[in-house]
Amino acid sequence: MATTDDPRALPPAEARLAAAAAEGCPDARLLMSRRALMGIGAALFSTAFLPDFARADTNPEARFLVVMLRGGMDGINLMIPKLDPRYREVRRGLAIPFAQTLSLGSDFGLHPGLERVHNLFGRGQVALVPAAGIPLKNRSHFECQDNLENGLPANVSNATGWLNRLLGSLPAGDPIRERRGLEIGDAPLILRGPEPVLGWSPTWFEKVDEATIARLQTAYGAVDPALWDSLARGLEADRLARDSGAGGGDLGPLRQAFIGAARLMRAETGPRIAVLSIESWDTHSQQGGVTGYFNDRLRELDQAIGDLRRELEAAWDHTVVVCVTEFGRTVLTNGDRGTDHGIATVALMAGGAVRGGIYGDWPGLGPKQLYEGDLRATVDLRSVFKGIAADHLGVPPEVLEATVFPDSADAPLFAGLIEAPERARRPLAAHVRPPTLAETAPIALYRRSHGL
Amino acid sequence: MALSRDQILAAHLALNRFGLGARPGGIRRIARDARAAIEEEIATPRIAHIPQRRLPGYVDACQVVHTSFEAEYRLKERELSARIAKHMEPEIGFVERLVMFFSNHFSMSINKDGSILATLGQLERDVIRANVLGRFEDMLLGVIGHPAMIAYLDNADSIGPNSPIGLSWGVGLNMNLAREILELHTLGVGGGYGEADITALAAIISGWSYVRGWEADYRINGGNRRNRGQFIFREDWHEPGAQVLLGRSYGQPGQRQGRAALAALARHPATAQFLAFKLVRHFLTDTPTPDLVDPLAEAYRQSEGSLRAMARALIALPQAWTLPLTKLRTPYELQIAEMRGMNRTYDPKERWPFSEALRALRNLPWERGPPDGYPEETAYWMGPDGMRVRLETAQLNAWALQGIHNYRKRPMELARSLFDDALSGPSRVAIAGAPDQLQGLTTVFMIPEFQRR
Repeated sequence: MATTDDPRALPPAEARLAAAAAEGCPDARLLMSRRALMGIGAALFSTAFLPDFARADTNPEARFLVVMLRGGMDGINLMIPKLDPRYREVRRGLAIPFAQTLSLGSDFGLHPGLERVHNLFGRGQVALVPAAGIPLKNRSHFECQDNLENGLPANVSNATGWLNRLLGSLPAGDPIRERRGLEIGDAPLILRGPEPVLGWSPTWFEKVDEATIARLQTAYGAVDPALWDSLARGLEADRLARDSGAGGGDLGPLRQAFIGAARLMRAETGPRIAVLSIESWDTHSQQGGVTGYFNDRLRELDQAIGDLRRELEAAWDHTVVVCVTEFGRTVLTNGDRGTDHGIATVALMAGGAVRGGIYGDWPGLGPKQLYEGDLRATVDLRSVFKGIAADHLGVPPEVLEATVFPDSADAPLFAGLIEAPERARRPLAAHVRPPTLAETAPIALYRRSHGL
Repeated sequence: MALSRDQILAAHLALNRFGLGARPGGIRRIARDARAAIEEEIATPRIAHIPQRRLPGYVDACQVVHTSFEAEYRLKERELSARIAKHMEPEIGFVERLVMFFSNHFSMSINKDGSILATLGQLERDVIRANVLGRFEDMLLGVIGHPAMIAYLDNADSIGPNSPIGLSWGVGLNMNLAREILELHTLGVGGGYGEADITALAAIISGWSYVRGWEADYRINGGNRRNRGQFIFREDWHEPGAQVLLGRSYGQPGQRQGRAALAALARHPATAQFLAFKLVRHFLTDTPTPDLVDPLAEAYRQSEGSLRAMARALIALPQAWTLPLTKLRTPYELQIAEMRGMNRTYDPKERWPFSEALRALRNLPWERGPPDGYPEETAYWMGPDGMRVRLETAQLNAWALQGIHNYRKRPMELARSLFDDALSGPSRVAIAGAPDQLQGLTTVFMIPEFQRR
């Protein structure tokens, strides 16, 4: 095997697990093993990649990408509230000097690690919500990530994710539904459910040479054409997604994931909805300020958004990327120069379809303005999601209320986030109810089809 | 001894449909009467048993719960090593396949809580393996009463609203475990239960809890040093009074109420049908039909829930020996088949190619997040991206065999020893055309004879 791609150059999972276990909050270790260390895996729901789809009259150009910032991202230091007199006092050593922030106007400054995002903000292609939050406020990674992804009120559990329900509620033949959701790397709850999902994963394994693949085609040949068909399409999608240019192999898995997602989404028949995750936002210690750990994470995110914009090419104009996290960090810094699990935080949208600006109120850092000692949410994330789903994808609001975000009357649709709302252009689709478990469980189908 | 091609094909079917894949030469060793070889395995006493040696029993495994992540993880690694070493032993491995099937039927994830991480291996040995050819009722009671399942499906804090603690704390039932018992473990969806039955069952098993580490450390809620991590019935958390489940009233006191309800669920005809359906789907076809399912369900009912009787009924189906091998091995099964083919034991120090491949293919043992278990349908595993990663990991494993394990056998020699006359002409051509051992082994792992079961 080629020496440059010796798989052992990468640390085995056990070593990473041990390293993760050595630090972090009480449930960070389990979080790591559940999320980060699941690592880059194959997405296997797909029975067909880039499937043929029924042509419909609805607009198939809209792209929607959800980026999960896992671990609880510190919005207070991403979007610095220059308007708040208490900022420097509560953030002490972690405070970002206002002079070093990238200007978002007089009230806020952007962390200097987000240069590309700032540039896009200047072009009116970035929308920021400074204090967004999910219904559940118990500061648990697990439960808050689940709540963010299932789209339900606090303390209600459900085995399906809201994005899967959204896809399932589009009418049959709708191009966005037919092209399916795409999960990159892991299989998040947000896309879980009866609606089939596509997958692609950047793997770090050595590629198999063409001659071996050709021999397998011979072996499968007439004996097992279905196996060959599936393998051939998987290889084709991988070629499509992978950076074929020189030096592509040097990109880390995160950049590969974003670039691959963009290449698959820009394809004429490619998926229109995708989800990916960036781990490691759980900054309990040595968070850093202008430089340091948090800055490195922001630069990674900034680069990812830059990669998306470049690789989506013309499709960027029809794209909304939304970056969300399960909770923010504590207003006060802790003894380890870090921050602990908090409440509200920033939601960041980028893309050519976004109507740039700052949305929602700043709740304030004063003692009486806080919620349980931390930043109060002034916008429910479900409101943001509803606004994007309605205005960007054209999902009828009544469908959003009934099936995608049930029992969310307290989180009204946030209008105005999209430059040219689809809602006005696109005829309302018929209200379709996603299938229930009783209709889709294999044993239920068996019982029904045999009259048992 | 002359063997006919039909005998070789039947042996290939037995090793792959019902077993874990051939070990070198195994196909000829069982070919005289493949079905008899499986029946012999079923009849062997304690065939699924893993000799304890240094692995802990229930009390000792529970002692590790919530001590440290490292200690819990180390124990899980030892359990996994023992499990995989056991997969290497039998010539066919039908009973091992049944163990994997029922472990997945009661699927849990070690990533949910340290109590599961520490005790899931012990549960699999002492509950799944111990009853895999016994009565389903015993397996069900053993699993539902085990701290791992109670932690996994959130029954540890399920409190009857009218129990003494429920009344004073104003807390209530958690329905998760009750719902999944009905939906996934016994009757199955469409098995004739409703929301009221879920609530009734949740009330019936309220107070079924386990001793969390902090309860043992601080000696509260009945915890102490000795019962750390173990099942505990919390009488004052239990919903008082009779409950009606599936039209039948359960008025037994305390824990006996739950045991009676679970026993009745195990004996229910819908449970027999659901298990039969799942076994047929696992071993034979993704589209089971009543002519395949009913004989297994009938065997279960006739024998008061004997899983041995059900296994025999499966082998006795004429179609079990004639239906084509259309199912695809799961990635875990594939890794095991590759290791058996190499006649190689599991080396925990060099397990990274094993675990990294299964991580990429999302089939790490004991790490399925949702409680429904890893999917059984071939369509799930045969997706294009999955097949592409399968190919890459086949090469990774071939590379690891050469580089780490110094494997020197020629690929064609390996293929002959595993498939004999069942090796197809096109497969032979593909293997013969490989220019070196790495590509040859990669090809062997990927041919349909290796992938399908």
